[in-house]
Amino acid sequence: MKLLVVEDNEELLDIIVLTMIKEKYQCEKAVNFIDADEKIHLYTYDILIIDINLPDGSGLDLIRHAKNNNPASGIIVISARNSLENKIEGLEIGADDYITKPFDVAELVARVKALLRRRNFLGSDIITYNEITVDTTKRRVTVNNTNIELTKSEFDILLFFFSNPGRVLTKETIAEHIWGDNMDLVDSFDFIYSHIKNIRRKIIEKGVKIPIKAVYGMGYKLEELFDEIN
Amino acid sequence: MKLIKKTYYLTSLWLLPVTIIGSIFCFLMIEHISYEETDEFLTYEMQRLVRYHEEHDDLPEFHKVADILPDIIYSEPAFKDTLLLEPGDNEMVPHRELYFTINHKGQPFTIVLRHLLLGRDDIAEGTLLIIVGLLLLMATCLILILNILTHKLWTPFYDTLKRISTYKIGGTPPTLKNCNIDEFNALNSTIKTLLTKIDGDYKRNKEFNENLSHELQTQLAIIRLTTEKILNQNINSLDSSTIESVKSIYSSVNKLHQVQKSLMLLSKIGNLEYNENVNINLKEVLEQVFEKYLEAFELREILVTLNLADCPLSIDLGLAQILANNLFKNALKHNVANGFVALTLNKKTFVIENSGLPFKGNPEQFFQRFTKGENGNYGIGLSIVKQICELYNYSISYSIADNSKHIITITFL
Repeated sequence: MKLLVVEDNEELLDIIVLTMIKEKYQCEKAVNFIDADEKIHLYTYDILIIDINLPDGSGLDLIRHAKNNNPASGIIVISARNSLENKIEGLEIGADDYITKPFDVAELVARVKALLRRRNFLGSDIITYNEITVDTTKRRVTVNNTNIELTKSEFDILLFFFSNPGRVLTKETIAEHIWGDNMDLVDSFDFIYSHIKNIRRKIIEKGVKIPIKAVYGMGYKLEELFDEIN
Repeated sequence: MKLIKKTYYLTSLWLLPVTIIGSIFCFLMIEHISYEETDEFLTYEMQRLVRYHEEHDDLPEFHKVADILPDIIYSEPAFKDTLLLEPGDNEMVPHRELYFTINHKGQPFTIVLRHLLLGRDDIAEGTLLIIVGLLLLMATCLILILNILTHKLWTPFYDTLKRISTYKIGGTPPTLKNCNIDEFNALNSTIKTLLTKIDGDYKRNKEFNENLSHELQTQLAIIRLTTEKILNQNINSLDSSTIESVKSIYSSVNKLHQVQKSLMLLSKIGNLEYNENVNINLKEVLEQVFEKYLEAFELREILVTLNLADCPLSIDLGLAQILANNLFKNALKHNVANGFVALTLNKKTFVIENSGLPFKGNPEQFFQRFTKGENGNYGIGLSIVKQICELYNYSISYSIADNSKHIITITFL
């Protein structure tokens, strides 16, 4: 999987690129419009992560160029401007998803994976973990080949964990992931706790372990399978 | 009132005294002319009689002599008005008399010439006819002229009006056509100056908002991502005080983000950046937004009653959603366990009632920014709601019934 990250803030760029490399993606970076434009014309990328606000040009133009060069590439827009027009324009000219700063790495990774699944780059829309299988298209979860019923939020949280095994997901990140930007409720943390409790219960009932652990009272982490084996 | 109607109205108002003064003037003029003419006629007759008498020492066969009075002498001819009974009509009719003295065979005789005058009632009748006729003619002409003139003279004005009323803030300011009327050109150039200023202010404000949010949010993103990195990398080697620090950094970043976002939103609403008004049904918006909160209400075991009727509004869709979001959020956040929320919507009003903590004091203060609640919550959500209401001239009020029932009422005007 080949990615290009375009972001004018180098610190932020490095964090994103390192994360993507950790996710085993081949990742290149561009720190300004000219570099990015050149790379887009020279190479083919599966996913482009583009910051709209660049010092020497508009990310929106990059999207147009990228779509011209390779209509198959998936595009995720990063913007710090909450302005609605940018969002709408970005999506209209061919971006697939839109993420607003400040975001979490986990959220970005989940979006990239969701996009890859939608674009069928992964060849499958089914994720498995232990004996748990998540069909992302049909939104169905099977444990040991039996269906389990999850609510919408429970499903979203489970999928979020499956997209980010081994990574601490803070309560804020999870809340934002399921309820969007608008949910700044104090109580939302209690809801997350009950959701995770329910997910655990429903899966454990089927005799399968689901190692979602609380971390420092800040969030939760799904252990990587690799850890399990050890 | 339309300009043309107002013109008609004011013109007629001014015509009233003009008509009255004109009528009096007309009446007096006719009366004056009638006297003049009668006097002139009587004078000519007198001169004819005097001349004839000088030549023939007698009076002509046909004359207007009404009376001959011996023994009374007028050194100068004198006019007199008198009323005489007209036997035909059996009414008193004004007459004009001319008294003058001639010397006939050494004896002075005063001759009285008499002529019928125009009656005052006749003059009044004539005046009325003239004035009414004139007025009708003038009114017809005025309406025609005013219509044509208003249309012609005010065209540039209406053109300007149309252009500026269709102008949307943030769009390109309209070009206003110049014409040959100085006042309208002055108006246009003033409007142009104002629009340029408004447009500039709008753009600067918008740019400032965008720059600020970009710079702030990029840095916030870095802090947030770095904190996460610490959490993930050193998971087994962090001591509890480091964890506490990371926790507090992380939670501050999130709070800062919320505050920044809310303030930016307020600023953008104030800058009229949400101006894509569309026709929506508030009922549908509320139902959509409510879906997001359904789960949260259920988890807190809050009983929600929706009593929604159609409510068509012309409003920016984004703002309608923000309005609904903030109201739901408020009703959820400040509710109590096993509480309730009741929504009532009809064409004219939207009422959202919820159980909450008892509150004494003026609840209107919740509309102010950053009101400190007992648990330190920011009160910016409702101030956003208020700002949206102000933008669309909806009236909004906050009241508390039975000590702990919080009621927000929005009335659409």
